[in-house]
Amino acid sequence: MNTDKHGLKKNLLRHETILFVVLVAEWLFFDVIGHNFGTYDNTCDILRHYCEIGLLALAMTPIILTGGIDLSVASLLGLCAILFGKFWRDAGMPIPLAAACTIGVGALAGGLNATLISWLRLPPLIVTLGTYSLFRGLAEAITHGVDTFTDFPNSFLFLGQERWLGIPAQAFVFIIATIFFWLLVHRTTFGRSFRAIGFSPEGAHYAGIPLGRRVAMVYVLAGVVSAIAAIIYTARLGQAKADAGTGYELFAITAVVLGGTSIFGGVGSIHGTLLGVAAIAVLHSGIAHAVLPGEMAGMLTGLLLILALAGSILPKMISGLRARKSAPRLAKQIP
Amino acid sequence: MKKTFSLLLAMTVAVFSGCKQSAETPSGGNNTPAPAAKQLTIGFLPKSKGNAYFVSCAKGAQRAADELGDKLIVDGPTDPDPARQNEIVENWITLGVDVIAASCENKEGISTALRKAQAKGIKVVTYDADALPDARSFFVNQATSQGIGYALMDEAARLCDTNGEFAVITGSLTAGNQVAWRKYVEERRAAAYSNMKCDAVEACDDLKDKAQSETTALLSTYPNLKLILSTTSLGVPGAAEAIKQAGKTGVVKNIGLGLPNENKRYVHDGVTQGVILWKTEDLGYLTVYAADAVAKGALKSGDKMFKAGSLGEFEIQGDNIMLGKPFTFNKDNIDQFDF
Repeated sequence: MNTDKHGLKKNLLRHETILFVVLVAEWLFFDVIGHNFGTYDNTCDILRHYCEIGLLALAMTPIILTGGIDLSVASLLGLCAILFGKFWRDAGMPIPLAAACTIGVGALAGGLNATLISWLRLPPLIVTLGTYSLFRGLAEAITHGVDTFTDFPNSFLFLGQERWLGIPAQAFVFIIATIFFWLLVHRTTFGRSFRAIGFSPEGAHYAGIPLGRRVAMVYVLAGVVSAIAAIIYTARLGQAKADAGTGYELFAITAVVLGGTSIFGGVGSIHGTLLGVAAIAVLHSGIAHAVLPGEMAGMLTGLLLILALAGSILPKMISGLRARKSAPRLAKQIP
Repeated sequence: MKKTFSLLLAMTVAVFSGCKQSAETPSGGNNTPAPAAKQLTIGFLPKSKGNAYFVSCAKGAQRAADELGDKLIVDGPTDPDPARQNEIVENWITLGVDVIAASCENKEGISTALRKAQAKGIKVVTYDADALPDARSFFVNQATSQGIGYALMDEAARLCDTNGEFAVITGSLTAGNQVAWRKYVEERRAAAYSNMKCDAVEACDDLKDKAQSETTALLSTYPNLKLILSTTSLGVPGAAEAIKQAGKTGVVKNIGLGLPNENKRYVHDGVTQGVILWKTEDLGYLTVYAADAVAKGALKSGDKMFKAGSLGEFEIQGDNIMLGKPFTFNKDNIDQFDF
């Protein structure tokens, strides 16, 4: 499912390798105990169900790399879903135009976060906690909490519900987004500057990195991606309501952290995030196919997170201990 | 837990050794020569999993499944994400359940998934809250507006010995269901209880506080009131509090639509004489019987009656299976219910 990772440094691979092994183990486990889990149909369903969370996680990765966070992505998804419905049904726009306008709104909303964070220097946690309520509140205010947009044309629902060339239509969007973010983070100077900012904003500043512009960029991108996710979500469900995507921001953050991106910034990768999303998605789907209670999914996600993090830290700790053992006398001589 | 696990393991191994290839067409596919009655797998989907109302529905559903020898899977959203119900249904499709019984949070949204299930040969019935008609075969309808309105008025008349004055507390003057219920209360009064008089209709805006203050005002405005009737579940405890504080416990009777748990205290104190709703366990029980019958082809569109195990016969109106008359929870039976 995931692309080969040629040409990556070994130390970068370490956490991702462990996670990949966990993912394969998960898959095999549920394939044995679950019913119809490993089928092609179900693989497509997993892709469909977690496409939006996957998109949000992709956009979240560079943000967390810079040491920031965006809690507002899922609320923005809700707002964009509503506005998309408004543009199409009430303003009478054709679907492509409505989608373009929605993406424009997403960029503007991301721009609001970006302005507050990079120019007013407010902490991302506080800013996006604010917009988290603001965007969801706007969506609820516009619809009074009850208005629902439905009856979208079939040609649009195709994007969320049907397969093209044998794979779910929205997977193509996801693949394009993955390639874009992978190149951005791993193959451009932008990616390097995100890490530098995450390691040390001061250092990055003195190294001549335009801090404000780089930070603004990742939040605007997150806004655009949230809007795209909103359109896919609407197509998948065939309806847009103000509560669309409730709670997705935490899924996305969990996936990114599970994927090995440090919450303090500076370290992380897009392929790690992909594995993180896959691990969570497989877990949720597997539990359903093994007819285990759905509540277990939350519990096991937590467990997975702790295990994966411990798994990547333990080897370092062990080598650290060894190093200490090999040089005890030296340590004693110092004081 | 261990037992179920090993059972599952044994089951899946059996399935895997046999029919991994054919797994993609789940359906009700009883092409295999069924030796005895086929054991069906029924997916039972509540709006939310922890809600006491649905826990009680699921209890009745389980009882029915045990009687029929069917396997019941109960799963519902535990988080507020509206896409969760769709995800559960789609998982059930690949899992290969035979029939799905759903209470729908988002009518249009979930209909997409339910239609997909039908396209794969899975039968669908709904209960409690309907989907779009083309996304299911039957809706198990727990109560009609007429049933609710008539039951409220009948109970009021019984408590007042069919004569005297009463007042109505309504949720809002404009909400569709409230309007319909009041209409049938009045229709029943005019037709059957002409000695009873409705003094006033007050709106409490679905607030308990407001129901209380409106009732206090009613009690002083109309000293001859014998009963307060609430068409909203928040009205009943609000009115009860007002009656109690006015020292008119038992003098002015109090009834309405409501859930047993939030009214138990007042019912035992004698302030509230009864609350009216339906038996949620019976709703779950009937739903599973209907799901089973639809999957086995025993219940088809056009049928007029349906027999559900120990509960007996139920009327079918169009594609709605009617649970029947609402149930009155009073001092004698309210402790048996927990929702």
